Amino acid sequence: MRRRVGPTKIVVQVLQYLALLAFIAFLAFPLLWLLSTALKTPRELALTDPTWIPRLPTLANFRDAFGEQDLVGAAARSLVVALFSSFITVLISLPASYAMARYRSLVNRIAIGWVLVSQVFPFILIIIPLFMILRDLDLVNTLPGLVVVHVTFTLPFALWMLQGYVRAVPPELEEAAAVDGASRLRSIVSVVAPLLAPGVVATLLFAFISSWNEFMFALVILQDPDVMTLPLTLVRFTGPEGVARLGPLAAASLMATIPSLIFFAIIQRRLKSGLMAGAVKG
Amino acid sequence: MRIKSALAAATVVALAAACGSGGGGESSSSSNEPVKINFLSLAWQQESVAANKQLVDEWNKANPNIQVTYVQGSWDNVNDQLVTQFAGGTAPDVIHNDSPALSGFASDGYLLDLGDKLPAELKSDIPQAAWDTVTFDGGKGEQGVYGVPFLQESQVIIANKKLLDASGVRVPTSDNPWTWDEFSEAAKKMTKSGAYGVAWPMKSPVNKTLNLALSFGGTFFQSAGGKTTVKVGPEEREVLQRIHDQLNKDKSADPGALGQGTADPLPSFYEGKFAMLPAGVFLRQQVVEQAPEGFEWVTLPAPKGTSAQQGAVSQTLSIAQDSEHPDEAMKFISFFLNSTNQVKLAKGDWLLPTSQKAAADPALTTKENGWDVATASAKNLVVAPFLKVNGFDEWRTKIATPALQEYFANKITIDEVSAKLVEDGNKVLERYQR
Amino acid sequence: MLPALVPVLLFSVGPLLYGIGLAFTDARNTRVHETSFVGLENFVELLGAEDFWSSFKIGLIWAFSVTALQFLAALGLALLLNEKLMFSGVARVLAVVPWAMPPVVIGLMWKLVYHPDAGILNDILNTDVNWLADFSLALPAIIVVGVWTGMPQTTVVLLAGLQNVPRELHEAGEMDGAGPWRRFWNITLPQLRPVIVAITSLDFVWNINQFGLVYVLTQGGPGGQTRLPMLFAYEEAFRYRMAGYASMLGLAMAIVVLAVLGLYLWRQMREAK
Repeated sequence: MRRRVGPTKIVVQVLQYLALLAFIAFLAFPLLWLLSTALKTPRELALTDPTWIPRLPTLANFRDAFGEQDLVGAAARSLVVALFSSFITVLISLPASYAMARYRSLVNRIAIGWVLVSQVFPFILIIIPLFMILRDLDLVNTLPGLVVVHVTFTLPFALWMLQGYVRAVPPELEEAAAVDGASRLRSIVSVVAPLLAPGVVATLLFAFISSWNEFMFALVILQDPDVMTLPLTLVRFTGPEGVARLGPLAAASLMATIPSLIFFAIIQRRLKSGLMAGAVKG
Repeated sequence: MRIKSALAAATVVALAAACGSGGGGESSSSSNEPVKINFLSLAWQQESVAANKQLVDEWNKANPNIQVTYVQGSWDNVNDQLVTQFAGGTAPDVIHNDSPALSGFASDGYLLDLGDKLPAELKSDIPQAAWDTVTFDGGKGEQGVYGVPFLQESQVIIANKKLLDASGVRVPTSDNPWTWDEFSEAAKKMTKSGAYGVAWPMKSPVNKTLNLALSFGGTFFQSAGGKTTVKVGPEEREVLQRIHDQLNKDKSADPGALGQGTADPLPSFYEGKFAMLPAGVFLRQQVVEQAPEGFEWVTLPAPKGTSAQQGAVSQTLSIAQDSEHPDEAMKFISFFLNSTNQVKLAKGDWLLPTSQKAAADPALTTKENGWDVATASAKNLVVAPFLKVNGFDEWRTKIATPALQEYFANKITIDEVSAKLVEDGNKVLERYQR
Repeated sequence: MLPALVPVLLFSVGPLLYGIGLAFTDARNTRVHETSFVGLENFVELLGAEDFWSSFKIGLIWAFSVTALQFLAALGLALLLNEKLMFSGVARVLAVVPWAMPPVVIGLMWKLVYHPDAGILNDILNTDVNWLADFSLALPAIIVVGVWTGMPQTTVVLLAGLQNVPRELHEAGEMDGAGPWRRFWNITLPQLRPVIVAITSLDFVWNINQFGLVYVLTQGGPGGQTRLPMLFAYEEAFRYRMAGYASMLGLAMAIVVLAVLGLYLWRQMREAK
């Protein structure tokens, strides 16, 4: 496709751009719609012919959202929880996934089985027993308690992701380093680690976003207003029977969505193609 | 660098929060330390959140020994949250909820029977009909009062004034509401090219239909020998049939609104696509906030059948069975729900106060925004029998909601819907009577 | 590494075993009920429950169609992003928008899109349809939301796989005169196979366990047309407090899923050899 020149190539390229545009429009339009909603007055939101650009744009929704709820505090707490959860997840899953990828043993098979099974069982059935364990450990109503839960539930997928990246690093490289006289550990640190960087970052990203967005556990674990995370604060704008205060809700939602995107954009830039380039060999 | 310091700050916040809550879990009983009470509030309207917070502040200033923490919950998830927290024994002390949810939690044994704790003043200020909405079987066969009802919802008709006047029908008043026949007639008259007389948003049809059905004495449930069964006789069929006819025979009801949630048809309402919207009184708030300039609307009483009665749903404050400070919690509730405060809460949520003194307040009897009609409708509220039925929630979700939706959409007949409600319904109820 | 496994065991395996145990009791989420062992009674009840079977059927339709559509769409997008097109960096960031949105927001967002009067979809299509309340359109409508929600993860994984396909293979193919379509079919797809198997399996599991979306969007309506099995289980456990029955439902679903997956993975492995 790439080398051919002439009109066919141009047609193909145009088609490619159109397709890409269609995909992006499909995936990203709600962001625009959120922005548009956040800038509208209640009156305008109740019009039957909605427009993309607000007729009378207003910042009142942002003012209300930030004035009524402690959004900044909640965002700070969400950030802390998400950072701790994602770093701990990676710290645990990095050595574990290395072992999983390199050694075929019984433990290994059990681990892979557990990864699968833990994804298969619906969390709504384990939430109550889990809650009781947390209560007995005095972790209810604390952010560390939430971190523990988030780590537990992102770990299986993180393991699976990382071991794919580990597998993509040819064992010959390590062996070569070992021949040069480096110890096993050193060869891992100096040869494997750099190659794993994109995988680690991708796993971090996954764990970060899962934790940042998580709602159900946070809902039952956190009770005091001064430990609530962002998703909990968002639902405060909804009332009974599905009635919601759309403007403030959209304003607050934007604020909850943007940080993940920025986080992703930064990583994406740093690593160029690297983020995706790590291998995913099942 | 900036990111680093933000991180450091965030870590400190996290640690502080962790330590703070670690201590907050168990409150010591030493006399110097103030008693701490958590109050889970579900207020969500701007005015109402403000009123709630202000009352809590007021209380905390006046009562240094009983400090109340305002915890914001949401209607959407409150029951999931409570089921889990009750099971773990860590629920808030004072819990805001509504009477339909209360019966379940009461019979599960999670709520405190307030019967002998209620101060006389509070008890006499709230009429017996309202107390009936919170009196349930406590799971061991005994009746108890499991909450203090404070805000009630009644059904009214919100109407487009221009279309109402143009139709020339008699405008109903609280003393002389429409009969259902008059209502259907009026809806027909208001149905003109491109506009319908009425809209029935029936995404959640059950509570609305059952509450209205009481106007013909339709109770839907009967108890005999300690066993509750579903009943759909002539009384129950009246309102079902009439709504169905508006939709499918008279064609005076907007078919587009049928699948919508309560507030969803409002945009079309402002555009004059239909003239009347039967709804709970709280919906007036949305109309005030959203209606375009110059849009005139009025609040009309719900139509009457053999009586003007309708089923009451009330919002409530309860105390958790596991609360360590039930007496202090009760003190807070009686302050929070005194008649002066109920006026503020009712105004904030656009609902009706249970307090009789509060209901007489000029702010709640003014003609403005239909408060007079709304408040007057409170006298017709009676406890709906379904509130006391164990397993009602499952009957509603699994049997009644789909059956009524299909019936109103003219996919099944009145006999078929009756059969479903009764036969399938009784099977569901049996699960709870083992 | 072993000490790290202790919390994992405690917080994931522990509750799991507890949940499985509950499935064989008549446990209720109430305080006034004595739980007793009932053996397979819940299972028998489940087999005889009409509403479970209809929910199960809806769950299968949902999970298979969302997984398939998600895969096709994500593969298309991943192929495009893998080309050296302009703006692909921006496109990659925008493509993860659904992932970055908290689920609470996703539900409300799509409710706005589907709103019969004030929604943008009817406005664009110039139609007057109540998408989420129509007996035949509600399920397709939420399937679209399902595809949308899960596309970023699938795309990211497939893209990673694509970038791992050795360039030399393509160049060799080109030398042999294979057109783009044949190279895709004969080189890219086989190389991508392990990744495809892994991500479609995971997607299937995630999709069949989905309940947040329908909970916010339709609550299972109209007339139970969108009551996914996990919404069913959720209602049993949290609304009707039938903890034992709900656990059995979860267990039964997990076994079905494991069986489907096992068959799929086994066939894939055999074909790969």
